[in-house]
Amino acid sequence: MIKTEVAVIGSGPGGYTAAFRAADLGKKVVLIERYDSLGGVCLNVGCIPSKALLHTAQIINEASESSSIGVTFNEPDIDIAGVRSNKDNIVTKLTSGIKALAKARKVQIINGYGKFKSPTMISIEKAGKEVEVVEFEQCIIAAGSSVTKIPGFPFEDPRVMDSTDALELESIPKRLLIVGGGIIGLEMATVYNALGSEITVVELADQLIASADKDIVSPLLKRIKKQYSNIYLNTKVSSMKALKSGIKVEFEGKNAPEFDTFDKVLVSVGRSPNGKLIDVDNAGVMADDRGYISVDRQMKTNVDNVYAIGDIVGQPMLAHKAVHEAKVAAEVICGHKSGFDALTIPSVAYTDPEVAWTGRTEKELKDEGVDYDKGVFPWAASGRSLSIGRSEGVSKALFDKKTGRIIGMGICGTNAGELIAEATLAIEMGCDMADIALTVHAHPTLSETTAFAVEMAEGTITDLMPPKKR
Amino acid sequence: MPSIKNINLPDIGDFDEVNIIEILVSVGDIINADDGIITLESDKASMEIPSPIAGKVAEISVKIGDKITQGDLIIVIETDDKGEEAADNTDTNETQSQQSDSIIVPVSVPDIGDFKEVDVIEVLVKPGDELLKEQAIITLESDKASMEIPSPVSGKVDSINISVGDKVGFGSLILNLETNNLSSSTGTIETSEVSPNSPAETVTTDTPKVINNSGINTAPSESHASPSIRKLARELGVNLERITGTGKKGRILDADLKTYVKEIVLSGGTGSAIPPTPVVDFSKFGEIESRPLSRINKLSGKHLSASWLNIPHVTQFDEVNIDQMEEFRQQQKSRGVKLTPLVFIMKAVVQALKRHPTFNSSLDESGENLILKKYFNIGIAVDTPNGLVVPVIRDVDKKSLLELATELLETSSVAREGALKPKDFQGSGFTITSLGGIGGTQFTPIVNAPEVAILGISRSQMKPVWDGDNFVPTLMLPLALSYDHRVIDGVQGAKFMADLNSILKDIREILL
Repeated sequence: MIKTEVAVIGSGPGGYTAAFRAADLGKKVVLIERYDSLGGVCLNVGCIPSKALLHTAQIINEASESSSIGVTFNEPDIDIAGVRSNKDNIVTKLTSGIKALAKARKVQIINGYGKFKSPTMISIEKAGKEVEVVEFEQCIIAAGSSVTKIPGFPFEDPRVMDSTDALELESIPKRLLIVGGGIIGLEMATVYNALGSEITVVELADQLIASADKDIVSPLLKRIKKQYSNIYLNTKVSSMKALKSGIKVEFEGKNAPEFDTFDKVLVSVGRSPNGKLIDVDNAGVMADDRGYISVDRQMKTNVDNVYAIGDIVGQPMLAHKAVHEAKVAAEVICGHKSGFDALTIPSVAYTDPEVAWTGRTEKELKDEGVDYDKGVFPWAASGRSLSIGRSEGVSKALFDKKTGRIIGMGICGTNAGELIAEATLAIEMGCDMADIALTVHAHPTLSETTAFAVEMAEGTITDLMPPKKR
Repeated sequence: MPSIKNINLPDIGDFDEVNIIEILVSVGDIINADDGIITLESDKASMEIPSPIAGKVAEISVKIGDKITQGDLIIVIETDDKGEEAADNTDTNETQSQQSDSIIVPVSVPDIGDFKEVDVIEVLVKPGDELLKEQAIITLESDKASMEIPSPVSGKVDSINISVGDKVGFGSLILNLETNNLSSSTGTIETSEVSPNSPAETVTTDTPKVINNSGINTAPSESHASPSIRKLARELGVNLERITGTGKKGRILDADLKTYVKEIVLSGGTGSAIPPTPVVDFSKFGEIESRPLSRINKLSGKHLSASWLNIPHVTQFDEVNIDQMEEFRQQQKSRGVKLTPLVFIMKAVVQALKRHPTFNSSLDESGENLILKKYFNIGIAVDTPNGLVVPVIRDVDKKSLLELATELLETSSVAREGALKPKDFQGSGFTITSLGGIGGTQFTPIVNAPEVAILGISRSQMKPVWDGDNFVPTLMLPLALSYDHRVIDGVQGAKFMADLNSILKDIREILL
């Protein structure tokens, strides 16, 4: 029996942040992780390895497109083992870094599958057998989410992959089908396309990256339409069969064929929370049927000494959301009056071009009948974007007409994921048009596009014709 | 194809059994959407009920004098449109075709804070009611507060599982709602991007206190406050909506928060607890006109409230024999020198202040030290067309009666023109307010904070005064002295009044 003040289940970005913050505030902390490596999905099979592969993809793409600027490279020689080990090295570097930080903070790491025994006890299982019991005063559940599997699909066949499998980079299929045109599917499409696969994307909704505004996704759609074999929107995969010749997939959709056969299929239709997998009811914590755990703004569940953070408490399932929630939970446990009151959580698709948005989307504003002002700046008028060889891209800023403050921003283009930070800060600070437009942005930069979008709304732009003069 | 629609009484607020005083349509009329169909009158207001749809009046089911309640049938309308636009609050004759994707959603008590067993004191809906999202469904009352629980989604009440008097807690089932509108629920957890098989089955209502698992969709506060200020407010337990920001564009600054909290602390925490006076619609009782208060009214009103709320007032009355003063004044008048009684009173007050220095003082910020003033500046309340102002006459002790008379005359006329400058109002140590020119026997003046005392003068009157042998006609001047009881106690007040009385009675004492 291990006794501790704070037990944290799960060592992803949320879990290790919660554990470290609580330890820094003077608590004795135990961090429970079912895998050998710390860092959770994000570091091991998510954000980080995918970004390593996306960087590889970017180099390949830029080299192949550079003949237009007068420099022609030979076809690249791709050593897939080298690509894989570069990715693995980065992951190892980061995960061992976390281990070192845990050690420096005297956070005790327990490897094993944590399940609640009672409101104060967690059983640690290895291979289904209890090997240890942790008794805690307070617990933070950071057990995350798992890939959603569609029943009936032949996942037992190695050619049907989830995102974890796809990141393994077993082989480069000639024809790859991606089921689900969300962030994860499109990022993997970018990687495999650069490495030589012919990509087909199938999406149930009427647009890719359904939670973003359509006009923000459109520059990406335009580019990948040329690169990929097919993009089927409004299309359902009605069945999937593993044949010797490949994976036979039947479609239901206006523009899709009845069926097609692929060398590999990536199913990326979202993630499901793990709330049902750790016996939370033994602690009296309520999880709904899908596995989400309800919490208040201090990340407390319905049970006083149990907190929950990250994917397991709701959308958006993003590491940076989990990290902020983790700090709140740890601080509340240590007696601080913390609370999660961020106005927005930015989202980024690291595709090429990137898609990023923060605050409210235009469709949300329309649905809710909010009176808003909008400024849209096409990157074709950005000197910096043109000089890096890219003319697509768009920045859109949204303002509440009532308060005059910025309430949303959407960007598609190179480095959109970096650029979105300015708008997120502006939303938190309650900036209005003039605050952003009158802030001097360096020229020529991509960051200017944010100011230009705002100037389009304000009517003060000079690099384009303003839609209305003010 | 024409269809027949029943128009029922929509939700009109807290009224049951309201009188119909007028019917505005007759059978056969063609009406437009939003045309009035009947007029209702409750004890509080009358209101016209509009038709939610356009069409021909086929039948009128009510008559003048009927008492009706939400949901009662008013009229039947024949309409050509397919009825898509029937307003939320009306039922239609067509059986509501149950859409195949409509589901029954249990609505349970959300996290209402630290309450385990809370009484249900009111059930606001009944089976069959069409609810809008956020519409209140029940009222709970704990020993600390009562709260309404809103519906997390719109839909039709299928069944109700609790009744008035039940004790409920987080998670208790309230009712089942038939809905096909789950996606708009703020209480549900949004499903993943393309998650194929996850119909929500349990919905927790969104609460004032917050269990809202969508995270990103917390309503942005109207307050203009950065994350660090929001953090500070959370730590101090301050509701930012109550603070007026003084930063650029109304931004709430760190200093605004601290000032707000300081004010509450200094006022002993009672400042915000003063119950408001009732709001009345006076137009119900006759013709009215709304006129804005003058700028001076607004400013002095704020100052007077602050003085009146912060200072424990005691007012003491007296009358003084001013025969001698009046005789001297009349003598001077006949020689062409105009002296008002006020200048004598000012001089007498200065003498009294010299003997009783605490009356010429103020409490410091901490409320623990008295600041005694060695100068004798007297504020004089002056009535102007725009309102009450209090210009200050400086160094009254160093000025002659004549000089004071001249200065008073000038100051009053500048005040009436509204041409006083800010510095003319500053630096007073004691205030005199006189209604002597108008009338009245006595009044209770409000101390002009941060001063600690004020003298009020009413109209002098010839009175029979017993001199031991006879009633002698004597000119008596009523005096009212209000003072801050934190600084001055009753004995001191009485002594000050007695001294002032003797000085005014024998004006030679002014010379002392």
